[in-house]
Amino acid sequence: MSGGGEGLSLGAKPKRGNSKRKVKKRVGFRIDMTPLVDITFLLLTFFMLTTTMAAPQVMEMSIPPEITEQVEVKASELLSFFVRDDGELFFAMGQDEPEKIESKEMVKKVKEISIRENLKPELENKLIVGLYVSTEAPYGEIVSILDALNQAEAVIVDKLSKDIDPETGKPKERKRRFTIAPLLEDQLNQIKEL
Amino acid sequence: MPKVKKKRVGFTIDMTPLVDITFLLLTFFMFTAKFKSDAESQQKFTIQRPKVTPDTTTIPQNDLAVIKVAIDSVTLDTNYYYELSNETDREKVWNSIEGLNEEQRSSPQLKVSVEVLNQLVQNTRLVRANTKFAIDADRRLRFKWIDDAMNILRKNKATVFNFVTEKEGM
Repeated sequence: MSGGGEGLSLGAKPKRGNSKRKVKKRVGFRIDMTPLVDITFLLLTFFMLTTTMAAPQVMEMSIPPEITEQVEVKASELLSFFVRDDGELFFAMGQDEPEKIESKEMVKKVKEISIRENLKPELENKLIVGLYVSTEAPYGEIVSILDALNQAEAVIVDKLSKDIDPETGKPKERKRRFTIAPLLEDQLNQIKEL
Repeated sequence: MPKVKKKRVGFTIDMTPLVDITFLLLTFFMFTAKFKSDAESQQKFTIQRPKVTPDTTTIPQNDLAVIKVAIDSVTLDTNYYYELSNETDREKVWNSIEGLNEEQRSSPQLKVSVEVLNQLVQNTRLVRANTKFAIDADRRLRFKWIDDAMNILRKNKATVFNFVTEKEGM
């Protein structure tokens, strides 16, 4: 519409009076847009209904590679979580008696324990977190525990990066040591009656 | 005195702003649209993914191999399914497996046993070593199914992979 107006004013300028053609007035000129709108709405509805917005979320896992020889681990540097057949969760530091974690406060507790133990100065970057899972436990439960551990990991990395390593003078780096494995028989016996 | 009704012959509304907005939305949806993969539209199961706290990590788009562990919605038995996103790789890997019929060869997703799954993973690694693996399993399943799948990945030295999850509260 504005284009039409401009053309009109240009044509009215006396300097351009050479051409004898008269600019036709097109005041109130309209195109019927209804078919256009019809088709556009049709396409819009189609794309709105077929589109799936977000790609699924993922949780990255890295597991220790297959090894043939046994690795010796200091019991004092091992934090174990056990999941029983019914999905009940227990934890033990080193060779302590396993303690039960109520499922209501699972996320909070797992976070708390993981942060506390991982940030002990003598265990920093040395602590191995092991998740020992009964093969009968529900998968959804395991992922919730992994999720809680990941949340704790974020806090640990944050805390460590604020400390300066006295040897290199740079912020401390986090080396995560984590493993997931099926529950062993003697571990199962330990938590069976709890 | 009764109101005189005004004649409204040739009455038009200016549709330009409407068309503007509609086109804007249309372009947006056209560019963001991603259609369901063939595998997804053919499968007879839906996976209830495990719920986790919201995060920004999304599933890789290219060269992805997904091990699905799902409960069939009709027979209610659990099975492994293997999906490979890269078509050329898929053809090579599928061809390396014996005993597939014509229909299976052209399908992007295979229903497999543990043994065949191991072979598939192995061949996928041979065809393209940097293929990313993901395990997409139902949250109601026993951990045994996932443990077996993880062992297959471990055996084939694919020790970094993804668990497909869902945002909590959705």
